[in-house]
Amino acid sequence: MKKTVNFRSLRIPALLSALFIAAPVVASAAEEPLPKFQREKTVFKVEEGKWKGQRLADGQPDVQGAWSNTIGNHSNLTQSPTYVERNRREGEAPAREVVRPPSRISDPADGQVPFQPWARAKAEEFAKHLLDPVKPEYIEPLARCAPAGPSKSFMWHGFDIRQYKDYVVFLFDSGTRVIHLDNKPQLHQKVKLWNGDSRGHWEGNTLVVNVGNSNGKGRFGRSGEFFSENAKITERYVFDSDQQKFLYHATYDDPTVFTRPFTVTIPVRRVEKFAHDNWNNILFPAKHAGKEKILERYEQICTENNGGHGNGGVR
Amino acid sequence: MNTIHLAPRGHIAKPGGKSRASWQQRLLSVMLVAGFATLSVVTGSEAIAAPAGKIPRLANGKPDFSGIWQTTSAADYDLEPHSARRDGGQPVPTGPGVVEGGEIPYLPKALEQKKKNFAERESADPRNRCYTLSVPRSVYYPEPFQIFQRARDLTIHHQFGHSVRTVHTNNTEHPADPNDWWLGDSRGKWEGDTLVVDVKHFNDQTWLDRAGNFHSDALHVVERWKYLDPNTIEYKATIEDKNVFSRPWELSVILHRHREKNFQLVENYCYTLDYDKYYPVPVEQ
Repeated sequence: MKKTVNFRSLRIPALLSALFIAAPVVASAAEEPLPKFQREKTVFKVEEGKWKGQRLADGQPDVQGAWSNTIGNHSNLTQSPTYVERNRREGEAPAREVVRPPSRISDPADGQVPFQPWARAKAEEFAKHLLDPVKPEYIEPLARCAPAGPSKSFMWHGFDIRQYKDYVVFLFDSGTRVIHLDNKPQLHQKVKLWNGDSRGHWEGNTLVVNVGNSNGKGRFGRSGEFFSENAKITERYVFDSDQQKFLYHATYDDPTVFTRPFTVTIPVRRVEKFAHDNWNNILFPAKHAGKEKILERYEQICTENNGGHGNGGVR
Repeated sequence: MNTIHLAPRGHIAKPGGKSRASWQQRLLSVMLVAGFATLSVVTGSEAIAAPAGKIPRLANGKPDFSGIWQTTSAADYDLEPHSARRDGGQPVPTGPGVVEGGEIPYLPKALEQKKKNFAERESADPRNRCYTLSVPRSVYYPEPFQIFQRARDLTIHHQFGHSVRTVHTNNTEHPADPNDWWLGDSRGKWEGDTLVVDVKHFNDQTWLDRAGNFHSDALHVVERWKYLDPNTIEYKATIEDKNVFSRPWELSVILHRHREKNFQLVENYCYTLDYDKYYPVPVEQ
């Protein structure tokens, strides 16, 4: 009997060990080596406006394909001064010098979550115990295979966008989101979901999505920030007509947790032309008789990985 | 044991390689031009499948299975014919079964395992641990699933576990040496208006129904998806597993399109239920 191993359970320890260095870059011998996906230190700009790129048959801007966050990751939402130290595992070499990404909070300008004091204390308590989960609530839900929810899904692994008449579908490493473009009414407010219930429409180059019905159980990152089930979330996905990048903006309006609405901004790039790295680019070359390069996404299922933090991300 | 592959090997395409399916497909296309009705009559068992009404099609002319679907069969209780019984506290209705010929042809040792599974079905069914269902169980499990379809693939999104399977229809082949997957690796071809999907590379962690019918990681499924009319799909699956069954066998269910006003899939991450309570939203302090 083979032991079932999913990619998630491999990736987290892989990042933390020499295994990561040994992980093969999947590319056929006949192909040019692909460039490594580069993390960026600044947030690029894409303005809202007209869509000048290709369109699908139903008129939607064609943004299908594989994408990834370019800046930071799920470890921290803001530019935490202490995070790197916390994330260092006991017994490892001294902390590396890490260039920390800027905060993903674009508004307010100080890059901090405008928490009410009690909520800030809760977030800090969670972050403090991330590596020391003496209570079940200190285990990050994502580590138990819960969906990452908005916006953490966009700070996690690479993801797919697939488009259909009336739908935009996101295939994340942890969960799937179906954005309804069909004007169906939102679900009843009693229905609460990890990824919420999403209604969207296109405004030029921008996919505008209202997310309701969130269960408020997820986190923005391992740094512990959270929102409640009362949050009204408005997402604006601003796509560049070159089809190579977009800016994800999510505005959270939640008076139960925050003192004012605030906005998360995450820059995202298309990854098909980068090397497979098991994190940003999780595409594999398809086997087929032709010469065309076809990339595809393998199964990403985490339900059996239902224990402590990600089989090694945290112990 | 414990085979771990960080990345699959041997993914280099073989230029000039000829696919056996391609000439079959071409032949079938010719037959299709000659008249699909004739083909249906020739294959006999397909006679009930005479299309009533125009089925939806993609721009490339292939049948478009986009929509939300669900079985009304009792297949998930027990694939084989069975009398009414109780599974724990829950009554199970009598079922005529969905297996061609009635019974699943187990190898003797595997039959012992099936009987053991049946005896322990209430606690041992992987569905009760909310594991992703395999193929074909995900198709006849009594929760809706949604198909999103493009020329290159079908994305099958299940409400149970919110799990997603991609059926590739772009003439790609199974990867050579992958991990074992919950939903397997699905490669589809068109035979006329029937989508024929070859599925393999499974793990052995799932069952075929609540009665303990099971498989090993050698499971190989060939699915046949075909419209009976614009709102009904005939789904057939041939099940092969040399470790468990003495010969391939077939099951068949009907899938119905959800047409309720504003019907949609919702999440069912049932494996999160046990720890939901640890993530209260501290709305009042």
